[in-house]
Amino acid sequence: MIKFPSTDYFEALKTRMAAEQERFRRLGFIDATFAVKVSDNGRSRNFVLEFEVFELKNVREVDSVDLKQVDFAIEGEARVWREMIENIKRHGEADASHDINTLTHFGEQLKVIYDGPDGHDKLYRFMESIQEFFDLSSGVDVSFN
Amino acid sequence: MAFYADKDYTQDQEVLNAMQEVMQGHLTLHWYDANTERIKGKPADYRRGLTYRDLDVGSYGYTDLPEDLRRHQSMVARGSEKWGKLPDMGYLVNRKSEVWSDNVADLYEEDKSRRWAPAVDVPWTGADAPSPEVEAACAQLYTFLQECALVSLDFPSRWVSLVNQEFLEVKSFMCAQMLDWARLLEAFRKRALMGGQGLKRASATAEQGLKEWLWAETYPQGSLSINLSLAGFLLAVFRQVAAFAPRKADRALMGFAMQDAGRQVAYGLGALRYLLSHRPAQKVAIEEYLDQTEHVMVALFGSPELLEPMIVICGGGLESAQIGAGRIATAKFIRLVVREYMERLEAAGLSGRRTRSRIPAVVDRIATS
Amino acid sequence: MSYLSTTNFLDDKSFADKWLYTMRTGELDLSWMNARTEKINPSPQNARRGLTYRDLDLGTYGFSDVPEKVRENRSYAPRGAEIPPGLPDAQPEVSRKSELWAFNTEGYYEEAVTRQWNATTDIPWERLEGAELPEAIGKALSQLMTFLTEVEMIATDTPAKWLPRLNPEFIEVRAFIASQAMDEARHAEVFRKRALTTGWGLMKASPMNEMALKHLRDADSFSEMSVALHLVAEGNVLTMFRFSEYLSPTDVDKKIFRLVMQDEARHVGYGMQHFKWVLENFPEKREILHKHLDEAENISFAAGAATELTESFIVLAGGGLKPENIEKGIRITTQFQLKQMEEHFERLDKCGMPERKGERSKLWMMYQMGKAAAEQAGLKI
Repeated sequence: MIKFPSTDYFEALKTRMAAEQERFRRLGFIDATFAVKVSDNGRSRNFVLEFEVFELKNVREVDSVDLKQVDFAIEGEARVWREMIENIKRHGEADASHDINTLTHFGEQLKVIYDGPDGHDKLYRFMESIQEFFDLSSGVDVSFN
Repeated sequence: MAFYADKDYTQDQEVLNAMQEVMQGHLTLHWYDANTERIKGKPADYRRGLTYRDLDVGSYGYTDLPEDLRRHQSMVARGSEKWGKLPDMGYLVNRKSEVWSDNVADLYEEDKSRRWAPAVDVPWTGADAPSPEVEAACAQLYTFLQECALVSLDFPSRWVSLVNQEFLEVKSFMCAQMLDWARLLEAFRKRALMGGQGLKRASATAEQGLKEWLWAETYPQGSLSINLSLAGFLLAVFRQVAAFAPRKADRALMGFAMQDAGRQVAYGLGALRYLLSHRPAQKVAIEEYLDQTEHVMVALFGSPELLEPMIVICGGGLESAQIGAGRIATAKFIRLVVREYMERLEAAGLSGRRTRSRIPAVVDRIATS
Repeated sequence: MSYLSTTNFLDDKSFADKWLYTMRTGELDLSWMNARTEKINPSPQNARRGLTYRDLDLGTYGFSDVPEKVRENRSYAPRGAEIPPGLPDAQPEVSRKSELWAFNTEGYYEEAVTRQWNATTDIPWERLEGAELPEAIGKALSQLMTFLTEVEMIATDTPAKWLPRLNPEFIEVRAFIASQAMDEARHAEVFRKRALTTGWGLMKASPMNEMALKHLRDADSFSEMSVALHLVAEGNVLTMFRFSEYLSPTDVDKKIFRLVMQDEARHVGYGMQHFKWVLENFPEKREILHKHLDEAENISFAAGAATELTESFIVLAGGGLKPENIEKGIRITTQFQLKQMEEHFERLDKCGMPERKGERSKLWMMYQMGKAAAEQAGLKI
């Protein structure tokens, strides 16, 4: 079982992404660096994911997110992230109420924060790849704190 | 308006003799030692393949293209040797600052790699039909979106042949845009018709506004309107519909659509930024242009052919509570569009637009009602 | 010199009031729900093919029943939608079906969308690493690529120039042209990239062919443009791609030419079908088409005088610059040039203009003379 949130979780997705290269190649280049912020009781754990070409190149946990160093960050309470991951596990992929676009759309469940619109718009330019990346959770056994 | 060859070549003895000379083995080889730069380009990253950025080198590259193109009016490939009598192709966009964006070559590569095919990438069949009212709303929304797609397709088409061939990467991106919008037009049409409701009503108010944007006097103005304002608006529509997707087909279609629109916005923002950073005096003209044409945004928001179906789709139906929920979601959508529009203008160099523009005040009245 | 909409919506109090009222009260007009439009139930005829434009060829939405003259819609309203008052005029200049229609236009478009390839990643550029061609072959290949990259974009610029002038009712034709624009941008790209990987860079421009490009660009009508571009020019280029694949010095080049010829064949297909459509449905246009062809063929012949192209073919075909190479190259290139002309006339014959193989065409006369001379020299044509 892999704990969420943790670098191990994202490393597991990275491994699965590499194994499904053909699927991600078909979707096209993804050149974006974004952060995932998971908050719980006022504290947050932050992970920076660096995507390049067709793969997740690097994952690291950071104390805080410098928005100038990433294209955007997706932040939210741990329970929202958990609900999303459990939904993915149940259905094999996120359903319409739990995909990244829906959850972030009005910023009420997950919120997208960014330094500038150039970075922000990368979320939409690479949306299908980002969604399929998180959908890889369906093949990972995840436990939650 | 026609161009005819300067002579009948089948009867021209000089030409016939020259051709015969070659075919008898007397090659001129005038091209053999062409006066051009020698390079052996290769990919910087083999995973990515050979990109235009890899070939941004010397006389072949785009970074060092000058601002003004005064001696290039033919289709001669950038970096090749010009000679002989070359015709004038009639390019009217010859200043780099009018079309360039630092990300355009990368966006072209991204566009190609992220292609999709509506016929097979959208799940057209499925047992997830919504209620007849919601399906009718979808039919209306997608009728409206076809109008937007037709206009968005026309914009690069109108200008591409007028843009100097030296700006190859921009022209290539414009071709990619054309296919993007042809594809989206196709997808919207198919989605509108798949639900059995037929198409609905075209929007006179939206089309009046869209035509004003499309028929802008200059490319930079048109790009601002179509690539930034309209594409930004549509990006938000796609995200909204994806979030409230009545069918799997909507979710899938809008996922692809937002990728295409996101790229277009990235170019539009980049192009405006490039223009303003290289020709800051243009800021006055651009502000005036926006003063004149921003009202089209109001036309789009307020057109009943967009507004009402969006309320119905977001609310999930026509019951009072559903309409109430739909109104709230639509109000949030409107605020989101304006906020992001202002952010992009500011990022491009139009600081202060938020206070100068009349849009926020109008939207505040509407969206908080 | 710009268009102004019939109202400034920021100043239109009644428009803003209506909008405010809708948002505040939730009272929707909903008249669009009862739009006077046809209801249809399309479904994919072939599940593997997905939902195609052909599946939507039903009733007022279909392309088959678009009339010869589009009288009712000049706006951006999609075909079949209800046309309310107040729509702007999109100023289309081509509203006659015979000016642009071709059987299977929608099929060519769907095929194009599913067969998009990527010049960046679908060509095995890594295989060129360390691969060195002999100087003469490398330079000849670079010159050929220089010519090809130079001419490809005309097939973007020219049809794209027409696209916004076509009545928006002709959705499928517009879509096809958009797909062609992308195809040609890709061709310009792949040829440029190949030239810049040979070690020689780009070579010399081709003024004779630039003249041809200008002729295409400045065509008087969509039909004239299609005849000159899709049928004549692209027909010739299709043969040229096949010849170039045959001459390719590396497997990378072979792959390039196989991919480009797929796209080109679609464009030629459209051109042929359009030509056929016009001849079958509007026989009174035959003489006009002859006149289009007279000029297009003149310019096509002029391109044969572009020595930078002919000579590069000779060097590639012969394998070098020695006299024996040149001799071989001339033989093979002569066969190609004659084949190119032969296929041109075959296409016209198949489209319903067999009389072009006769005195009506000066190019035909040149072809006959060339063929006779070649046969006399012992060449098999």
